[in-house]
Amino acid sequence: MISSANMYSAFGPAYNPHTIISDQKEPIDQELRVAGGSSGGSAAAVASGMCFASLGSDTGGSIRLPASYCGVIGFKPSYGQCSRWGLVAYASSLDTVGIITRNVHDAQLIYDIISKYDEKDPSSLPPKLRSINSSLASFDKTNSNFTDLSKLRVGIPQEYYVSELSDPIKSLWKRGISLLRSYGATIVSVSCPSTRYALPAYYILAPAEASSNLARYDGVRYGHRSDMDSKQDEKLLYTHTRSEGFGEEVKRRILLGTYTLTAGSYNNYFIYAQRIRKMVQSDFDYVFRRPNPLHLVKNESSFCNCNNDEIFEISNKLRKESHGVDVIITPVAISTSPKVKDSLSSSFLSNSDNTKSLDDSFVNAYVNDVFTIPANLAGIPAISVPFGISPIDGFPIGLQLMTQYGDEHTLFYISKVLENNK
Amino acid sequence: MIIKTFVTTYLKKTCNERFISKIKRNVTFYQYSTHLYKSNKWETIIGLEVHAQLNSKTKLFSSSSTSFNEPVNTNVSVIDAAFPGTLPQLNTKCVELAVAASLALSGNVQLVSSFDRKQYFYPDLPPGYQITQHYAPISLGGKIFLNQLDGLEYDTMVRIKQIQLEQDTGKSIHDIVPGMTLIDLNRAGTGLIEIVTEPDMRTSKEAGLTVKKLQSILRTIGSSDGNMEEGSLRCDVNVSVHEHETPYGTRCEIKNLNSIKFLMAAIDVEIERQIKELENGNKIVQETRGFDVLKNKTFRLRTKETATDYRYMPEPDLSPLILNKDYITRISNNLPELPDDLKTRIMKQYGIPLHDVIVLMNETGGVKYFEEAVKNRNPQHVSNWITHELFGLLHARNIKFSQNPVSALQLGSVIDCVDNGDITGKVGKKIIEKMISGDSRLASIIIQDEGLRQLSDINELEKICKNVILQNPEQLRSFKGGKQTVFAWFVGQVMNKTKGQANPKLVNEILRKLL
Repeated sequence: MISSANMYSAFGPAYNPHTIISDQKEPIDQELRVAGGSSGGSAAAVASGMCFASLGSDTGGSIRLPASYCGVIGFKPSYGQCSRWGLVAYASSLDTVGIITRNVHDAQLIYDIISKYDEKDPSSLPPKLRSINSSLASFDKTNSNFTDLSKLRVGIPQEYYVSELSDPIKSLWKRGISLLRSYGATIVSVSCPSTRYALPAYYILAPAEASSNLARYDGVRYGHRSDMDSKQDEKLLYTHTRSEGFGEEVKRRILLGTYTLTAGSYNNYFIYAQRIRKMVQSDFDYVFRRPNPLHLVKNESSFCNCNNDEIFEISNKLRKESHGVDVIITPVAISTSPKVKDSLSSSFLSNSDNTKSLDDSFVNAYVNDVFTIPANLAGIPAISVPFGISPIDGFPIGLQLMTQYGDEHTLFYISKVLENNK
Repeated sequence: MIIKTFVTTYLKKTCNERFISKIKRNVTFYQYSTHLYKSNKWETIIGLEVHAQLNSKTKLFSSSSTSFNEPVNTNVSVIDAAFPGTLPQLNTKCVELAVAASLALSGNVQLVSSFDRKQYFYPDLPPGYQITQHYAPISLGGKIFLNQLDGLEYDTMVRIKQIQLEQDTGKSIHDIVPGMTLIDLNRAGTGLIEIVTEPDMRTSKEAGLTVKKLQSILRTIGSSDGNMEEGSLRCDVNVSVHEHETPYGTRCEIKNLNSIKFLMAAIDVEIERQIKELENGNKIVQETRGFDVLKNKTFRLRTKETATDYRYMPEPDLSPLILNKDYITRISNNLPELPDDLKTRIMKQYGIPLHDVIVLMNETGGVKYFEEAVKNRNPQHVSNWITHELFGLLHARNIKFSQNPVSALQLGSVIDCVDNGDITGKVGKKIIEKMISGDSRLASIIIQDEGLRQLSDINELEKICKNVILQNPEQLRSFKGGKQTVFAWFVGQVMNKTKGQANPKLVNEILRKLL
């Protein structure tokens, strides 16, 4: 490890326009673009050649989004493959350690090293399940030729074709699909009906878990502690410490999360959001033809007693019979990297009576995550592959690939195809 | 039922209707609330919430060691202090101890249970939440029976609502440095089981005995030391009163009680307070109260309006705890004998009284020790030597019975030597003291090496007695003259001459013969 990058006040929004260090003495060139959030620093470091690779965490797209903006590979493994011990927790059931590199080969190299069972992480995938997972039949096992994808079925989820998509993104998406088709892949239109509920569900669940995980930052045992000498009320150590220590967006999310967990709201928001999450997971299980190893083991406990060959045979049969797909291809972001001036939060806006734009700016920031969030809710692996440049502003655009839980090898395989032909 | 019908049919013949209905009411309640409270107008409803620290070597979700009275903040890991990036790791020993507790209390161990976060801010709760089992605890149901063996004049049963695993908090110490609260995190993260009873108790005595029974059961199975003074057992009690045949009243919770005596006193005082309020026409406000020992009164800690919303959320880091039947059967088969069975068996098998059994059971390992030492010996003697002598001597030296240096074999040897007359009881006690100090020899060896053998040779004794009599003609004359007390003096002299080693019984016989 050569260094750690600065993050905008821990788990920031999708923008990342500021570092904590800069005091804004000089005006920033308002035409500059943002690196994306929240692993924007990591993406920028890799893109500029400062380092070979960089680690980050992807809770709602925090690795894939900056990777798309900066034109590098952003890879999010399946939840549970890489240990979260040592990762500052934001939303425990969504946080995934991910990798940013300049090419797929490097990402796979690092992934093979860090995707190990860790007993210190209770959500780490146990060895038995890893072994079952690697025995399951998947596309990469049945194929060895990168230019012959005739056995591949690629899914295009209809719900991702939203009106907010900018034209450069749309055409790049089409170009990616054509490329795969030209190698013989079967292109299938699929439906993930719960997609439109995924974004609001995420913005209930993630802030709720975050409000809980951030409760430990009280200045008592470590970190910033408010200098109470200048304060009037001695009893408000926690209030002052946390108000000073957290940025605006983080405070916003903590409040939102706290609210959804209160006794009156819990059943109306939190529980509903969990149900939607389950629906998003089932959407993907229906769409993919490789079985989800987690659900397989739950439903057929006899699976655990089979040897690896038997597992391969059973899953191969299941796979052949299914009309599902091996991989899904979608855009990563709605647009190329936004300008700094468009992404500054309300506290920096000079005209504070512009309340309408205030609300819009927060919500717009959240909408940027719409393509990346479903993969986090379902825990499936996803990757952002830089595929082209926008003809309008010349900034990078990435395409997102997603496969079934535990099917990272197929994901790397298809990513390499895209990478070789961008 | 039989009592009720008999009394009513008998009374119908002799009394008027109003009187009968009053008796009927009281008799009916005699079946459920088995106390005869002074006013007979009010019934008390009592429920308990008991937190027992689990007897595991390490904490519930981290590998730092559990502790008692260790130097502050020496058993704290990064997980206990909620450092960023830390995650909980379930200690399976705690699960075992919780399952054992459930089985011992006749509970239903849930094959699937899950963990939740109970969230509030406080400096002695480093993560800002406590991991507990709010929605799906590890055990539901169960019961505690109380009867004569426990010290209650009648039989009753207290149902258990649930048992759940949870973390303990650290300690906040407010009164050492003025203006500051000191935080000791040694205890933070220690595993607890919370045992919630149904509101089945009707008197403070029932409540006190329930806690005692619970302590006894938990100690027997080794799940917890159950020591209120040391803090390994904490009780909160819920008390409400209502008039017979009216709905249950509003309850108040009393916290921070650290002995059974205070628990019972607090309940009684709270009952009086509530009855007084209601008789004055006031309503009882649901609140949490503490007990002031000196004033013998309860006082308000906080009211329901200011009660915290704990924002319970399923613990996202931990998957549900899934147990299988084999695991539970294995633990069930390894359960030691439970207190009720143990009491009955020991009394029956060895013929020693209930009181002795209770004293033996009060020390962890006491009964086992007794059963070792009692082989081929008189049970009452063995019991007396343990409960009257050994326990007392250890206690005087501040040695816990778990650290007792006197093996059952050693104690047995002392008892043997006393019983067959080799030594007096006094000498036996001295030998035990030696053993406590570290002497690991058997009594027979010690006696031999140090010549402590009781003098029982009749000829020797006769010689010494005759000598003493001859050397003290005045006392002899005094005795012959009728002063009976001089006899004791003669005995004393003989004992003196023999350095206390003469067999007192024989000395008595011989002197009587000679004098």
